Amino acid sequence: MSLGRRLGNVLSDLLLEPRQKAALGSVAFRDAGHGFDVLGFDPEAFALALGLTRFAYERYFRVTSHGAEHLPRSGAAILAANHSGLLPIDGAMIVVDVARQTSPPRVARVIGDVFIPLMPWVGTAFSRVGVVAGSAGNFRHLLESGELVLVFPEGAPGIGKGWKKRYQLQSWRVGHAELALRHRAPVVPVAVIGAEEAWPEIGRLDAFHAFGAPFLPIPATPLPLPVRLHIHYGEPLVLHERFGDADDPAAVRDAALVVEHAVEALIAQGLGQREGLW
Amino acid sequence: MNRVMVTGATTPIGRRLIERLLADPGTALVLAVGAEADPVPLAKRDPNRYRYRQVDLTRPRELHDLLYADGRELAVDVVVHNALHRRAHDEGPRIHALNVECTRDLLSLAERHPSVRRFVFRSASAVYRLDPRRSTLLGEDDPLDLSPQAPQKVRDRVEADLTVCTRMGMSSMQIVVLRCAEILAADVGSQLYDYLGSRVCLKPAGFDPMLNLLSLEDAARALELAVRGASSGVFNVPGADVLPLSRAIERWGRVPVPLPGPLLAPLYRLRARTLGSDFRYDLNYRRFHFSAVLDGRRAQRELGYEPQHRIDWPYPQSSGNQS
Repeated sequence: MSLGRRLGNVLSDLLLEPRQKAALGSVAFRDAGHGFDVLGFDPEAFALALGLTRFAYERYFRVTSHGAEHLPRSGAAILAANHSGLLPIDGAMIVVDVARQTSPPRVARVIGDVFIPLMPWVGTAFSRVGVVAGSAGNFRHLLESGELVLVFPEGAPGIGKGWKKRYQLQSWRVGHAELALRHRAPVVPVAVIGAEEAWPEIGRLDAFHAFGAPFLPIPATPLPLPVRLHIHYGEPLVLHERFGDADDPAAVRDAALVVEHAVEALIAQGLGQREGLW
Repeated sequence: MNRVMVTGATTPIGRRLIERLLADPGTALVLAVGAEADPVPLAKRDPNRYRYRQVDLTRPRELHDLLYADGRELAVDVVVHNALHRRAHDEGPRIHALNVECTRDLLSLAERHPSVRRFVFRSASAVYRLDPRRSTLLGEDDPLDLSPQAPQKVRDRVEADLTVCTRMGMSSMQIVVLRCAEILAADVGSQLYDYLGSRVCLKPAGFDPMLNLLSLEDAARALELAVRGASSGVFNVPGADVLPLSRAIERWGRVPVPLPGPLLAPLYRLRARTLGSDFRYDLNYRRFHFSAVLDGRRAQRELGYEPQHRIDWPYPQSSGNQS
């Protein structure tokens, strides 16, 4: 075993409780033969990532989870969430929460932006913990493999929405609804409360496109603020029972609208229940 | 009972395929075609089931006579075209003649041949254009690398592949194109095999793409299934080994050294010039950055092919990730 992997294992042993580490041993993934799946997911890297984010999850953002009983224990499903932040704090915390709330732990495979594989180190690290570049082919493969897929239908406009538009869903894409219909996968609406205030931006450089990034956000603070995060899972939406044809653009739009409304309702519920930012 | 003509018979894949075909009583005869003289192990075959012809495939007359003298006399019904130039640094019209013109001529001759009913062409995954914006899993419909800047090896592979594909549905023959994952073995033109020949393997810092590698056994098996099958079309032939580049380097017992990407092309050019090695970084630039794994579902469904044989890695699986 390489030194890096040994170090990673030692670190994850140190950072995770033995019970958590043992549970991660049974994480379900399709080993393509060398300990990785075909998209590059590595369960050891995933365990390390959970260890490294433990402080952020438990102490810094003090994440609370609501409605985790709605998370499917097996089979293909889509988690559709609101999006925000300069770094994908919301995505990372959902992934950690899903792994903690399911037994055996499920890995939420995040559909990231297409520029992620272009970024050295970041692209590799993300692929090892289960993030995949947002192509229809990758999304389809994950659903056909029975994976739990986390998608942010707002896309890049979601992370650039700014303080004034927080908790207002931006242009809601429909690809997830089409694939949910095609693969008969339930969609679980997810609302992340707190992340939209965690790292406000004061501006952005639209001319910055390194590695294909849509823009460079300028944060108001050097680190994200330690706001409390609340993750709300809604009841799974079985879209294929209401909207049959995945090739019908109107049906796909309507199905996506149902998901959007469900996420909006969860956001409203989460904001109503929240007792304070901190 | 098949009567099969195999070009590239002296290559490792050709030899394995011929062994497999002759081991099956369903093969009436193999007409092996190679550029070299008949290699000794093949010469010991049963002459009633095995014939060898030394032919320069780049000469149209020799090619014609091969098909219309021996091929007609022996009533060949399946042609397996497996002869492609292997060295990446060799370029020019003669290489193009073997890679492309020979394929075109052979296809044309086979189409009007009285007994040939099936044409199997071994293509390669190198024909695909790797694009991080597309799926990591490459399907048969994914875009091909049509870049005019691509090295001749890639351009020839793509042209030959398309030459065969354009006849599908227009020819009375059944045409099969097998786009094989890289075969990690000596003497098959494997860029990765040459790359792993160094004790130290330089790789682009920050990137560790997933590779898909095919064993000789599986490549030969896929070709055999294509010979026997009734389906035609384009089929990806993935290998049983899917792993990151760094892991492949470790399993080969080499030391991965990450370096800034722009340094790699000149360093590997220098290595090629001083040591005569065949690895070209420009040929591998995209796959050393972006993951690409062949989606073999069509071959599984229609040819019954599934990868079964792993590469014989010199170093065992590390204890960390057990398969």
